[in-house]
Amino acid sequence: MLRRAARRDRLIGLFILAVLLFNPPILNLFGGFVFGWPALYIYLFVAWAVIIAGVAFVVERNAPATDERGNRVP
Amino acid sequence: MSRELVLAVAIGYLLALFAIAFVVERSNKLGKLTGSSLVYTLSLAVYCSSWTFNGGVGRAAQNGFDFLPIYLGPTLAFILGPILIRRMLRISKANNITSIADLIGARFGRSAGVAALVTVIAVVGLIPYIALQLKSIAQGFAVLTLTSPDPAHQPLIFDGALWAAAILTIFAMLFGSRSIHPGEHHPGMVVAIAAESILKLLSLTIIGLFVVYGLFHGFGDLFGKAAANPEVAQLFAYSPERYGFSWIAMTFLAMVAAFCLPRQFQVMVVENVDERHLDRAIWQFPLYLLLINLFVLPIAVAGRLLLPGNANPDNLVLALPLIGNQPLLALIAFLGGVSAAASMVVVETTALSIMVCNDVVMPALLRVKSLGLAQRSDLTRLLLWVRRGVMIIVMALGYLYMRHDSAQVALVSIGLMSFVAVAQFAPALVGGLFWRGATKAGAIAGISAGFLVWVYTLLLPSFTQPPIIANFVAVGPFGIDLLRPYALFGLTGLDPVTHATFWSLLANFGALLGVSMLGRQRAVERAQAALFVDADNSGEAAQIWRRTALIPDLHALATRFLGRDRTDAAFASWAGDRGLDPATAVQADAETVLFYERLLASVIGAASARVLVGAIVEEEPLGVDEVMRILDETQRVLEANRNLEEKSLALQAATAELQEANTRLKELDRLKDDFVATVNHELRTPLASIRAFSEILRDHPQLGDSERLEFLAIVIAESERLTRLIGQLLHLSKIEATGTMPVRSELVDLTAVVRESSAAMRQVFAGANVALDIDIAPGSAQVIGDHDRLVQVLINLLGNAVKFSPRGAGRATLSLRSAGGEIELAVADNGPGIRASDRDAVFDRFRQLGDAMGDKPEGVGLGLAISQRIVAQHGGRIWIEDNEGGGAVFKIRLGAAPIAAQ
Repeated sequence: MLRRAARRDRLIGLFILAVLLFNPPILNLFGGFVFGWPALYIYLFVAWAVIIAGVAFVVERNAPATDERGNRVP
Repeated sequence: MSRELVLAVAIGYLLALFAIAFVVERSNKLGKLTGSSLVYTLSLAVYCSSWTFNGGVGRAAQNGFDFLPIYLGPTLAFILGPILIRRMLRISKANNITSIADLIGARFGRSAGVAALVTVIAVVGLIPYIALQLKSIAQGFAVLTLTSPDPAHQPLIFDGALWAAAILTIFAMLFGSRSIHPGEHHPGMVVAIAAESILKLLSLTIIGLFVVYGLFHGFGDLFGKAAANPEVAQLFAYSPERYGFSWIAMTFLAMVAAFCLPRQFQVMVVENVDERHLDRAIWQFPLYLLLINLFVLPIAVAGRLLLPGNANPDNLVLALPLIGNQPLLALIAFLGGVSAAASMVVVETTALSIMVCNDVVMPALLRVKSLGLAQRSDLTRLLLWVRRGVMIIVMALGYLYMRHDSAQVALVSIGLMSFVAVAQFAPALVGGLFWRGATKAGAIAGISAGFLVWVYTLLLPSFTQPPIIANFVAVGPFGIDLLRPYALFGLTGLDPVTHATFWSLLANFGALLGVSMLGRQRAVERAQAALFVDADNSGEAAQIWRRTALIPDLHALATRFLGRDRTDAAFASWAGDRGLDPATAVQADAETVLFYERLLASVIGAASARVLVGAIVEEEPLGVDEVMRILDETQRVLEANRNLEEKSLALQAATAELQEANTRLKELDRLKDDFVATVNHELRTPLASIRAFSEILRDHPQLGDSERLEFLAIVIAESERLTRLIGQLLHLSKIEATGTMPVRSELVDLTAVVRESSAAMRQVFAGANVALDIDIAPGSAQVIGDHDRLVQVLINLLGNAVKFSPRGAGRATLSLRSAGGEIELAVADNGPGIRASDRDAVFDRFRQLGDAMGDKPEGVGLGLAISQRIVAQHGGRIWIEDNEGGGAVFKIRLGAAPIAAQ
């Protein structure tokens, strides 16, 4: 139960972080071109990927091992 | 390309998809595909409709990054998946929920009214969205066949949108309403959608790669040219206020849409077969969204660079391969768009048809007694035809809406309009799941208020046809400036979608909160609220109402909707779980009624099921007696729990005691070893000395008399010491062997004990020149015990006192007084005293503090050990304190003899 609560708290933390990163005013800090690429293009996709990786890390680390059919692997 | 070819390819593609669905539903092996979390994730990607495929690129070409909030929003919603979506899943599974209208209706007292309201809003709100898909397919068709999409220029028979509508309707019927399944599972449809999701992603990625590496020389080249073109570079220019409220509103709308859109609810909740799939999907689905959007911006930029400014931005995905002279790629792009549109339309109309059928049409038909529907024997065909009819109507409305104002509104704007409409469900849904106090009246007020504001600020102004509407948008009704739909109450500076989002959700939340807080909940509402809000530890709601009916009646009712086989199987399995005999059970209790209601709800929705079951069930609120009985049972359960708890506590205590005993045993064992070693040593020392002196006497006959006498005296003294030692050892082992040794229990007068022992020691004290004071407090001092033993203890203590008192100036005191129910004996001396750390150790066997000081006192070191045991046998205790004038005080306390014994 404790682990589940910790996971919930981490996801809420990630949610708040994502809300901040994905929205103005923070994203308005990026503009123009960096190394010939649009800065905002790079920023948004990197931030997005980082958040997804964070969520995957949180949910997969504590998930019980299951095979494709959802049976528990011994 | 010719019309016939494109049409044939599109229809062939859809037929292939249908074949997949058909095979999946027939084959056992493929049927298990829905048990995979990957298929679940891909089916969620039905979120990416043709709006993503064509509209996103169009928006990016015009506004830059504005297309992204639509995909960042669901990412946000899914991060909260384990909190929000899991709760929706659990509740829906437990109640056999078949649609979002069903869920909201069920939360608010299984109310048919709320469910119907939600359904109507969903239909009205989603018609523009369906129109959007038709429009997108028609536009794609026109681009590919190089014809005009406007039907005014050609006969109706060549209208791509009409064809699309007709074909998609047929497919929606084939996928979504072929037969009635309990729980509304459509495994074939889910797998087909998953396949389409793969194709969408592949198609857009292929076009993206072709654009970036075929039409340009990689990303560097593409973005370099974009930076060089001032008009395009302006899309990426730095500006601190570029994205504002509009971005935030879109992110929020998309976040809410991810679980409020009927088609998302259908694939995410209704079609879900395993709750654990959600754990995967909460990061895989956002990952899919990220991948499908990677090339959107590059394609849009390329379109801006290569195509003339007046080209329709929504067609870029198709137009770019054509510019590159790659008709095959254009066809792939077209199929991707068709995929996206088809999956959206099929799932959305299926979801809508279930909602309309279960929450509007059936409850209404069942209420009309003259139709006699409740008595009809087989209603499954009726259900299917109602659903098919709904699909046709929904598609027809979509087509008409699209024709009504084609061309002037971009795809994304139409889609956003629908998002604002379905966002009206969010306050009631989320509030209902997490806030116990949300009432039915509050939900109705909130949803209606939000919907009306949406109609006024977004839907009405979207009709530009009758001039009166255009006029009313410009100046407000009756020329009232404050009521202009796009600038309500003078709120300007926002785009129409953001403006409508703000006002509609403000009205919605406000009405929900206000009405809920002011009103009261009925019993059934409260029960459902508790059930939903405490979903994680839910009990059954059955006990709130006492409902009775006859099982055959209920069974016959369920048979009409599910068919005999399914009903029999479901009841047999349920009766088995409950230990009922299906053949003989006649009277249905509340639980059984609930079972049938849920079984029916899995096919016709909660609201209809409640109406039907209500017709044959006697329902009344629980009387006081019943409530008392339930409380009584709860009480008994609690009692049993408490008993168990006590027992387990007792067990714990026993375990602790055992452990303690075990450590004590171990300690005793160690002590015994020490004891044997010490005894060995103590016995050998005098023996060795006796032997040594005897040998001297034997071997040296020439020794003088005085010496001989001296040596003999030593031999005698050592022998006496040995005798004493052996005597005390025997004594001690006797005490220890018997534990609580049978102390002779006679009435002992401690005054006499004190006098006797002090008389015995007087001579010793006199010899050592130590004074001995006796201090006997007046009053009775009688204990039960062994007179001689107690004398022995006192003599021992007095012996110690004299041993450690300084010669000449020594002064010892033996005192006796009563302390409460006990009698205290104390022997004080003015010797060096005993360090606090040694006070327990002196009672150990053979422990002689004198050792540390170098001169070995006389005695064998057993006296205090024996004294302590004797005192313990008398139920008393002995300990050492500091004497006020220096020195030590040995204190003994013994329980006074009861008065009766005296």
